[in-house]
Amino acid sequence: MNEPLIRVTGLTKTLKGQDEPRTILAGVDLTLHSGESIAVLGRSGSGKSTLLSLIGLFDRPDGGQYLLGERDITRIAERKAAALRSSEFGFVFQRFFLLKHLTAAQNVAMALVNGQGWLPRRKRRARAMDALDLMGIAHLAKHKPPRLSGGEQQRVAIARALVREPKILLADEPTGALDTDTGNIVVEALRSATDRGCGLILVTHDHDHAAKMQRMLHLDHGVLAPAPTAVRA
Amino acid sequence: MMRLSGRFRAALIIGGQGIRARKLRTFLSMISLFLGVLGVVAAQAGQVIAHRALVASTELQMGVDGTQQIYVQSAESTGSIVMDTVAGRDDAVALLSTNAIIGEPDVRPVNEGGAPLDGSGGGWGPTMNCDPQGNCVDPNEGKPSGQAIELRVVALTGDVRQFRPLRLESGQWLDFGGAPSMAPRLVLNEAAAKGFAMYNVPAEMRFQGATANSTPRFTGVVDDGNSNPQAYVRSDELLNWMPIDVLTNPMFGTPELLAAPTATDFVETLRKKVEALGDENTLYINTISAEDMMPGEIQMMRWVFLGVSILVLLIGAAGILNVGLATVGERIEEFALRRAVGTPRLLLAGIVLAETLLTGLLTAMAAIGAGIAGLAAAGKLFGDRQPMLQNVTFPWEAGVAGVAAGLIAGVLGGLVPAARAARIPIATVMRA
Repeated sequence: MNEPLIRVTGLTKTLKGQDEPRTILAGVDLTLHSGESIAVLGRSGSGKSTLLSLIGLFDRPDGGQYLLGERDITRIAERKAAALRSSEFGFVFQRFFLLKHLTAAQNVAMALVNGQGWLPRRKRRARAMDALDLMGIAHLAKHKPPRLSGGEQQRVAIARALVREPKILLADEPTGALDTDTGNIVVEALRSATDRGCGLILVTHDHDHAAKMQRMLHLDHGVLAPAPTAVRA
Repeated sequence: MMRLSGRFRAALIIGGQGIRARKLRTFLSMISLFLGVLGVVAAQAGQVIAHRALVASTELQMGVDGTQQIYVQSAESTGSIVMDTVAGRDDAVALLSTNAIIGEPDVRPVNEGGAPLDGSGGGWGPTMNCDPQGNCVDPNEGKPSGQAIELRVVALTGDVRQFRPLRLESGQWLDFGGAPSMAPRLVLNEAAAKGFAMYNVPAEMRFQGATANSTPRFTGVVDDGNSNPQAYVRSDELLNWMPIDVLTNPMFGTPELLAAPTATDFVETLRKKVEALGDENTLYINTISAEDMMPGEIQMMRWVFLGVSILVLLIGAAGILNVGLATVGERIEEFALRRAVGTPRLLLAGIVLAETLLTGLLTAMAAIGAGIAGLAAAGKLFGDRQPMLQNVTFPWEAGVAGVAAGLIAGVLGGLVPAARAARIPIATVMRA
């Protein structure tokens, strides 16, 4: 197998609220390779989204080690983390987070106007159109989000995540707000990204969607383990 | 550099998108700011226009900024000292004044003493001829009233316009290059020109104490800001007809010199020569300062107006701040998303600041446009009654002040929302 894209070992995270500190992750180990897809299952509040926010550099772990390729980014500074989020990661969220005042194409292109390098408007538009085309919704480029269905909006969000050609795609319950059929289309769109060498981590409650990934992991009591067979079934 | 440029452009693009997405809100936040910026523009424009008018008038009557205005107490041989010292200097000019009567021979002038010809200020009475004991006689006593005008004649040793920018209204200014003419060439001021238009008189020019009367030639008319009739002439053309003492007669004032700020050696030489005449014969030197030409009332009005404007500006900035904070609260997901796709915190702050700065700039443009239009309208409506408003141009200083006020309000109103936008946590927002 090829070199791992990311490798986390012994990752811990404790949330310090008003009450007693609550351990969310208690030593998570995870390796993701290029072209590999992993589903992370678990109950609500089990820490799936927290794990994804640590991997996506939205937040920093309390302990453990996080390697991106060979580079240790466990305690990376925010400025460098922003650059890595731009160059290495793509994110898809349950609630799409499309900007209502922009068209679908502009929503995709917004990921290219982030202060990490500069592309002229024509190139930005071309890349946004390519990403929308990949999702099969190029014809909706001029539509604003309120005129799109949930599935179409999520595919615009996936196009936005893919437009910078990330190495790692992180999807946090991307089908949570969609019906089963639309969810299947979205999961297939996400999975197809792995055909182009992208690593995918999908956080989901849906076992059917999880089953379409190469590996299924289960997060329970802050520890990540291969999903039990019963769950797989 | 490229990176900075990319971030700058990104901030402008996203800021512009933000404004376009919230047109009504941006417009509403611009209204109070508009009044503040307009106040600053009006205060600055009013002050500059008033100052400009005042300076222009003072420059005509006293001299341009930095000019050394020198008065020499009249005494025997003062005239010779002045003429000898100023001879051959390009950076200093002597102005020797006396009164002359131009018109019919042997008649009393229509404006005795050189009073304004329109009668303003009343009659001044005749210029008396007094001896050192104080015995005075009227030189025109017993003469019949006739067609003659009394005016002040200023004899110049060089071109005075480098120090006093007299505005040529018609004809030609004095030529100091060639040989002096036996018929003295005079350039009249507007008051004198009006007088000679009213009284079409045979032109004989006579001075008290002159050896002979001469025939003057009028070559041009200038605006010198003086309402009394006055004429300018080359000193050497007068000195063909009279001794220097006539031009330094203390009854008509003291000799005046205008010197460039750099003519320190000239001033020192003159001082030494005059002081050599005796203790009481000293120089009085006044250096003209444009800043000192601002009367206290205008300064006070300017500060009061500016104070009120700044207050309104602060209210405008508070409006932007209020809208900015509400907008950041509304756009929390957008900013978190932008951070998620790699936008640095600094750029996020820059986006919010770009929006408030663009709002401030647009407001400033609108206020400056209103100021220009208002000034043009005021010129048309009140130009006849207020000479200050005739052909007045919008001062660039007011434009700069307006832009600065708009940008300052933009920064003041945008800083806190920008800081809040930069601190939005991605994980908390995206998980909610």
